[in-house]
Amino acid sequence: MARVSLSNVTKRYEDVVAVDEMNLDIKDGEFVCFVGPSGCGKSTTMETIAGLTKPSEGTIRIGETDVTKLPPKDRGVSMVFQNIALFPHMDVYENISFGLRLRKYDQDEIDRRVDNASEIVQLEGMLDREPNELSGGQQQRVAIARAIVRNPDVFLMDEPLANLDAKLRVHMRTELQRLHKQLDTTIIYVTHDQAEAMTMSDRIAVLNAGQLQQIDPPLVCYNEPANLFVAGFIGSPSMNFTDGELVDGGLTTEHYDIEFDTTELGISPGDEITAGVRPEDIYLTRNEDEVDSPSEVIEATTDVLEPMGDEIFVYLSLDGTSGSSMTSDEAAGASNQLLMSVDPDTEIDEDESVSIVLDRSKIHLFDTASGDALAHGIVDLSEAERTRAAAESRGQHE
Amino acid sequence: MSTEQEADTADRESRRSGPLVAVTRWLENLGETAFAYLLLTPVFVILGAIALYPLLRTFELSMYVNVLGTGDPEFVGLQNYVDMFTGARDPDFPGSTMFLPDVSTSSSFPFVHVSGWFRSALVVTLVFTIVSVFFETVIGFGQALILDQEFRGRRLVRVAIIIPWAIPLVIQGMIFYLMFHPSTGFLTEYLANVGILAPTNTLNDPLSALIIVTIADIWKTTAFMALLILAGLQSVDRSLYEVARVAGASRWQQFKLITLPLVLPAVAIAVLFRTIDAMRIYGLIDITASCTVVPSLSCMVVETFNTHRGLASAIAFVTAGIIGILAMIVIYRQYKEGF
Amino acid sequence: MATTTEQRSDSEDAEDGVIAQWTKGVIGDDEKRARLYRALFYVACGFFLVTTLFPFYWLLVLALTPNSQILTGDWSLPVIGIEFPHPQGFNPQAFVEVFQQIPFHLYVFNSFVLATVTTIIVLLVASLAGYVFGRLDFPGKGPLMLGVLMVSYFPPAAFLIPLFDAFLGNAIVVPFLGIELFEPPRLVNTPGSMIMPFSALFLPLAIFILTTFYAQIPDGLEDAARVEGTTRLGALFRVIMPLSAPGVATAAVLTFIAVYNEYFFSSIMALENVPENWSPLVGGILSYQDQYTTDFNLMAAASIVGVIPILILVIVAQERIVSGLTAGGLKE
Repeated sequence: MARVSLSNVTKRYEDVVAVDEMNLDIKDGEFVCFVGPSGCGKSTTMETIAGLTKPSEGTIRIGETDVTKLPPKDRGVSMVFQNIALFPHMDVYENISFGLRLRKYDQDEIDRRVDNASEIVQLEGMLDREPNELSGGQQQRVAIARAIVRNPDVFLMDEPLANLDAKLRVHMRTELQRLHKQLDTTIIYVTHDQAEAMTMSDRIAVLNAGQLQQIDPPLVCYNEPANLFVAGFIGSPSMNFTDGELVDGGLTTEHYDIEFDTTELGISPGDEITAGVRPEDIYLTRNEDEVDSPSEVIEATTDVLEPMGDEIFVYLSLDGTSGSSMTSDEAAGASNQLLMSVDPDTEIDEDESVSIVLDRSKIHLFDTASGDALAHGIVDLSEAERTRAAAESRGQHE
Repeated sequence: MSTEQEADTADRESRRSGPLVAVTRWLENLGETAFAYLLLTPVFVILGAIALYPLLRTFELSMYVNVLGTGDPEFVGLQNYVDMFTGARDPDFPGSTMFLPDVSTSSSFPFVHVSGWFRSALVVTLVFTIVSVFFETVIGFGQALILDQEFRGRRLVRVAIIIPWAIPLVIQGMIFYLMFHPSTGFLTEYLANVGILAPTNTLNDPLSALIIVTIADIWKTTAFMALLILAGLQSVDRSLYEVARVAGASRWQQFKLITLPLVLPAVAIAVLFRTIDAMRIYGLIDITASCTVVPSLSCMVVETFNTHRGLASAIAFVTAGIIGILAMIVIYRQYKEGF
Repeated sequence: MATTTEQRSDSEDAEDGVIAQWTKGVIGDDEKRARLYRALFYVACGFFLVTTLFPFYWLLVLALTPNSQILTGDWSLPVIGIEFPHPQGFNPQAFVEVFQQIPFHLYVFNSFVLATVTTIIVLLVASLAGYVFGRLDFPGKGPLMLGVLMVSYFPPAAFLIPLFDAFLGNAIVVPFLGIELFEPPRLVNTPGSMIMPFSALFLPLAIFILTTFYAQIPDGLEDAARVEGTTRLGALFRVIMPLSAPGVATAAVLTFIAVYNEYFFSSIMALENVPENWSPLVGGILSYQDQYTTDFNLMAAASIVGVIPILILVIVAQERIVSGLTAGGLKE
C-alpha cells in the first residue's frame, strides 16, 4: 500500500503530447478513477505509472520510491487489462501464480496465496480450468486474482469492465468496491464510463487533451466542476450551456437574461461568460415552489419528449426552431436549446408553449474564453442587497 | 490478506541489485527505437558478414586480375566485365570446348552460336527460367485447383504434391541422373524416338541435358507454385461463386470471370518469386548433367572461382545484379502495399 | 441454350457414334456434366499422383534390382515387351551395402547436426527480429525489412568468393579500402563454414514467418507479463513465443528442410566428400556418383535412405509447410 505521485509527467510522441505536465497525488488506499474522452491521455498516464510507457519528462513515485526508471516488474504494481489478457497457454492456477513463480516463491507460499486470492474473487475449484473454458466474468475474476495475489502497492485497472455485458458490469462494479474495502489497497482505475467513476471512486481525475482538469470526489466534480470541460463531461445527459455576456447586475444571453449580483465574480461587465445548468435544475413555472431561489421566467416551446421511465427529458426550443435531429449532448450545447428533465407524471406535450425557471443556486458560470469556473450558484440581486445591507448595519453596530 | 505475507513493494524491488539486475534495468529503460536496433544486432551481424560484406568484396575483386596468382593483384577496372561480354577470356574457362560448340559443328544448341561463353550462360539461364517457370505455373495452377476442392484423400494428394518440393536437391538430381543415364535410363529411348532428346550420350548433349534439367526442376518446384496459387484461391470469397451460380454462370464462366481475375495477383507474385529462384539454378545442373555441358550463370562462378577469381567475381556480381533488378520489382510491390 | 442444341443434334446426327452422342448428352444434362467433371477431376488427380510419385518408384526399382541386371539396360516387361521399369530380382541387400561401401550414416548425421544447429540459431535470431518487426514501431523499420528481404533473393554465388576466401583463413579486407581487418580461423571442413551461410540464407524467411505470427499476439498479454514480473525479452520467450508455437514450428520445419536440402554451400565448403570434413548428405550421395559409378543400385538405395527423414517430416508437418510457404511467399 502506498501513495502514488506524479510530478510534471509529460509523454510526447512524435506529433502529439499524450500527457502534458501531469501533477497528481493519490493517497494511500485511495480509489481514484481517471475519466475522460478517448485519446485524453488517461491510459497513457496509467501506462507511465505501470512502467509500460516511459514518460518523456517528470517523475513518478510509488510510496517513497522514485520508480520513474524502474521496469514494470519492479514497481510493486499489478494491473488488470481491458481485454483481460489471460495467458491462453496457461490454466487458471498458472495464470494467477505467474508473477509468483517468476519471483521464485516457495511452492507452499504460492499455493497458499493462490488459494487465498481465488477465495477472495470466488474462483475456488476452477484452478485447473483453461481460460477459454471460463465465462467473461470468470475470466475477469482470474485477472483480478492474478493482480491481488502478489500483494502489490497499487492496483492499476485499465477499463477492466469495458468488455463485459451491461448486467455483469454493474455486478462487477460492486465486487470491485467490496474488494477495495477488503484489501484497502490504492486503486487507480481508468474508465470512459462516468457512471463507473461516480459510483466507485473516492476521487475522480478528469483528463482532457493530456491535461488534468480536476481531481475531486465525485460529487464535487458534479456540483462544482472546475471548468467547462468537466461540467460538460460529468453528468448524463450533459449540462446545458448558454453563451452570454456579463452586464452590470446580471447576465444577458440571446434568449434570456438573469439578474444577479456580479460584484463577487472578479470580472467586469462586457466579458463573455457561459452559463451552465443541468437538466434537473430547470423547472416549469408551475412547479416553481420546489425551488428556493428561482430565476426569471423564460418562455420556451417543447420540442421532443423522451420518457425514460423515472423521468422525462424535454427538449426546449427557445426561439421556436426545432432541434429534434440533435442528440441530447448537441442540444445541451446549442444556445437556442435547453434540455430539461421533469418528473415522469408531469403533464406535458410536444410543441407546447411553456414557462420555465432555473434554480439560481445551481447555475454555473464559466469564463467563456478560458473555460474556468467563476461561480457555482448565483445570488439573487435583492437577496444580495439584503445581505449586504444587513452586513453593513452589523458593521455599523460594531 | 494477512500481514505476514511479503508484499511486492516498489521499495523492496528497487533495492534489488547485482549485475544481472543492472543489465535488465538498462535493457528495460531503452527506448523503443534503441531496443529495436539492439535486438536486430544479430541480424545485422549475420547478414552483414555473410551477405553484405561478400557482395561488396565481390564487386571489388571483380575489378582485379591475378587475384590468386603469385604476384600482386592487378587493378583492371571494368576489363573483366568487358572481357566477359566480348568472350575474350573464353579460354580461361575449363572445359570450354565442351559447352562452346563451334557454330559450324553444333546444330543441337542453337542459342550458344553467339560468341562468348558468358552469353551462353545468360541464354541457358534465361531459357531455363522462362520454360520451367511457365510449365510450373500452368501445372501448379492445375494442382492448386485440385487441392482447392474438398474430397476424400485430399491430405494424401497434398502430401504427394508437396513431397517433390521437400526432396533434397542432391537426391532430386540423382533421380533424374539415373533416369536418363545411358546405362540405367529407360526414358531416353522414348523421348529420343519423338525427337526431344539426343539418342546417345544424352547427358552430354547440351540441349538434351538442358531439357532434362528443366523437367527435373518442374517436377520438384511445381508444388511451391501450387501452394502459393492455392493460397490465392482460398482467399477468394466463396459467396461470389454463389452469386455467379444464381446468375446462371457455368463452371467455366465462373472460373474465367471470378477465379482467374481474383487469383491473378497471387499468380503474378508466385511467378516473380519462382523467376528469381530459377535464375539461381546451379545444383541441379551440377548433379544431373554438368556445369560444362549446361552452363548457367551460377555455374560459371563456381567453375571459375578457384582459377580466375577476378573474372568469377565479375560473373557473380552480374548475376547478382540481374537477379537484384528482378528482386527490386518484387520489393517495390511489397513496399507499395506497405508492411 | 441446351434444348436447341439437343433438338438439332437429335435430328441431324442420329448416325453419330456412341462417343458423340454421349458428349452431347453431357452438354445438355446437368447430372451427366457433374459426373464428367468428377471423372476429369479424378483423372487429373491420378495424373499428378503418378507424376510426382513415379520417380520414387523408379528409385525403389533401381535399389531392389541387382546392379548386374540394371547394367543390361533392359526394362522390357515380360509378355507385353514394353519398356517399363520394374524390379528384376529382389536385392534388399543394397540398403545394407549402402552403409558398408561408405559410412553413409555419418553424412546423414552431419546433415542432421548442421540442420539442427542452423535451425536453433535462425529461430533465436529471427525471434528477436520478428519481435522487433512485428511488435515495435521505430524509424527505419520499412527499409530494414526490405533490406532483409533483398538478401534472400540474391544467388548464393554472389556471396561465395569472399566467403570461401575468409573460410580458408585469409584475412578479411575492408572492401575498397584495402585495410586488412583480421585473419579468421580456417573454417572450411568445419560445421561453421556451412552453418554461417545457411543461417544468413534462411534467416529472412524465418523472420517473415515469425513477424507475421508475433504481430498477432495482443499487446495486453505482453503488458500483463511485464507487469507480472518479467522483462520485454522475458515476455517474448515466456508468452509471445509459446503462443506463436505454430509459427515457430513452421519456421523451424522450413529451415530444417532447407538446410537438409541445401546444395550450393554443402557441396563447396567441405573440400573433400568425407564425413570427417563435415560433408553432409550431399557429399555422401555424390561419393557414390564419383567413386562407384557403376553401383546404380547403391545410388538409388542411398537416395531412398536420405529421403526418408524428409518424407516423415513432410507427412507429419504438412499443415505447417503449407501455411509457412504461403505466409512467407504472400506475406498476408
